[in-house]
Amino acid sequence: MLAIFITAFFPLIKTFWDSFFSFGLRPGIPKRFIGFDNYIRLFHDTRFMTSLWNTLIFTLISVTLEFILGLATALILNAKFALRGVVRAAILIPWAVPTSVSSQMWKWMYNDQYGIVAQILYKLGWLAPGTPILSEKWSSMVAIIAVDVWKTAPFMALLLLAGLQTIPSELYEAARIDGASGWKQFTKITLPILSPTIAVALIFRTLDALRVFDIFYIMNKSVETMAVYNRHILMDRAFTGAWFGYGSAISVVIFLIISIFAIIYMRSLNLKFE
Amino acid sequence: MKKLLVLSLVVLMAVMGMSVKITMAAGAVGKELEVLMNQIKMFNKIYPDIEVQLLPMPNSSTARHDLYVTYLGAMTPDPDILMIDVIWPAEFAPFVEDLTNDYKYFELDKFLPGTVKSGTVQGRIVAIPWFTDAGLLYYRKDLLQKYGYDVPQTWEELKKVAADIASKEKINGMLFQLNQYEGLVCDVAEFVHSYGADFLDANGKVIIGDPDNHARLVKALTMLKSFIDDGVAPKGVLTYMEEETRRPFQNGESVFLRNWPYVWSLANDPKQSKIAGKIGVAPLPMGDIEGGRHSATLGGWMLAINKYSSAAEKDAAKKFIKFLTSYDQQLYKAMNAGQNPTRKAVYSDPKLKEAAPFMVELYNVFINAEPRPITPLYTEVSDAIQRHIHDFLLGKVDVEKALKDLESELKMITGQ
Repeated sequence: MLAIFITAFFPLIKTFWDSFFSFGLRPGIPKRFIGFDNYIRLFHDTRFMTSLWNTLIFTLISVTLEFILGLATALILNAKFALRGVVRAAILIPWAVPTSVSSQMWKWMYNDQYGIVAQILYKLGWLAPGTPILSEKWSSMVAIIAVDVWKTAPFMALLLLAGLQTIPSELYEAARIDGASGWKQFTKITLPILSPTIAVALIFRTLDALRVFDIFYIMNKSVETMAVYNRHILMDRAFTGAWFGYGSAISVVIFLIISIFAIIYMRSLNLKFE
Repeated sequence: MKKLLVLSLVVLMAVMGMSVKITMAAGAVGKELEVLMNQIKMFNKIYPDIEVQLLPMPNSSTARHDLYVTYLGAMTPDPDILMIDVIWPAEFAPFVEDLTNDYKYFELDKFLPGTVKSGTVQGRIVAIPWFTDAGLLYYRKDLLQKYGYDVPQTWEELKKVAADIASKEKINGMLFQLNQYEGLVCDVAEFVHSYGADFLDANGKVIIGDPDNHARLVKALTMLKSFIDDGVAPKGVLTYMEEETRRPFQNGESVFLRNWPYVWSLANDPKQSKIAGKIGVAPLPMGDIEGGRHSATLGGWMLAINKYSSAAEKDAAKKFIKFLTSYDQQLYKAMNAGQNPTRKAVYSDPKLKEAAPFMVELYNVFINAEPRPITPLYTEVSDAIQRHIHDFLLGKVDVEKALKDLESELKMITGQ
């Protein structure tokens, strides 16, 4: 209990506390109590608001795609076929590569001069030759989401697969005898029993996506997420002014947004932790 | 009793003085680290009582900045010696040792004046220049010869030559580093200075709105963008950093390249470069305007001492820095790691002329390299320039709007 308090709650409370002050790490900047000023300022900060929207858009699209792809993959992998174990292990490779490494790898593949993905898109005529994929806001958002989906859908699939395997096969046999169609079996048996697993998988991924940092930071710094913007405030500006309380306020807002999402999920999926 | 106490104190001091351990945050990129390890061995022959431990730092300058913020913000006594970028001294000044009284000890009067200036914050010396950098124009000697061109002297000329050769050879004309990062500020500063303009004056006042300066800024930025719009530089330069421009250049895919001195030895290495021996280096072109000049952005790294280290460690650190920045060691580093000396005299050494002829030939570029604004707010100023100019180069806003937004943001940051 004490360990949990020291490692988890103390930094949390300290961050909350700091967010009501104006101070910096440079010596000579006095620490002043300013109440909610940091929060008020935050919502007038267009750069932060843009980063908030970027994060939400990224989360919504990438988690949806990962869920659909992950579920489809899990259903396929749940069937019996030769080399099932090998395939199950193989699809996890993208997940096993550290994000910083795979981001850099994809950044090279998107390069307009020698990147293979860029060349394929140019050849297909989907992009004008020479277009830098990672410079414009929309193309780079699509590109980054694609990398995130490539990386995380297998993880989603594995989580869902674990859930699928807990469903007893007798249920399907009984349904087949009753003449239920494949779709009906899926909506009446698979989905309801799988829903706690789905909830856990979605919570994991959504919370991860809301605090996304490395993919954006490495692939395109000009599209900021909340975490990337906060790094800028806390690191680049640590010694240049009274920004530290402001950075703490951003951390608190990220924390609150993540909590809200978590609560919504748990409520709507009737998930109870007992 | 008193005698005994004094004696034991003397013995204790002698024991403590016998060996000091200092740590140094240092670059860890291939050659650089290897050369430094050899230098430590040489240093220990003179000072066997000082043990130097290296703390290799990440490659990227931003990541190093993050680490220093963590160390210094927590006021830890390690590392004792910090290797810092030329743009940081003002920001880190409150955390590092004041070396003003050691001016003579480090022989700073024998250094390139621009590099000493970057380590001077409000009259105080806070960092000693270790090696220097300046933006250079690399060109394909063979292609210029083939089509009968001289090395271009102005940006307009460069654009014409690059466009002509590029279309005939079916390669890129020119490569810059215009991703949204610190390198963009370096490249843009060279354009802006070459047209006799600037964003801030020497006192840190925002001068974007001054009519003459404004007109020059518009000309400079419009010229830079026209390189991309006219297809002389690929659109992709907006996503490139140093290495993404060096690779295509040394694969023979570009006529010209703007980059730092480190490219020379790599692009001339036949093992990895397709154009070894076919490269020339020259000062970057001038602006096509009255009062235009050749300009190169000053880069490089300096050595500073952690304020929170003990007196003995600070003393040992000073000795090691003096050693590293001595004539012989700078020559050794220049010849083996390709990093430019900060001492003037090294540039006339015949050994250097043989190993890296361009360093000697371009001495004027290095001595005249122009620093970026020296202000404790530098990281914020740089961030603002990066975002607004990148937006303009992307075509999201026109030049007037970009400059107006940048002006108001810089005024807000600097409190004007």
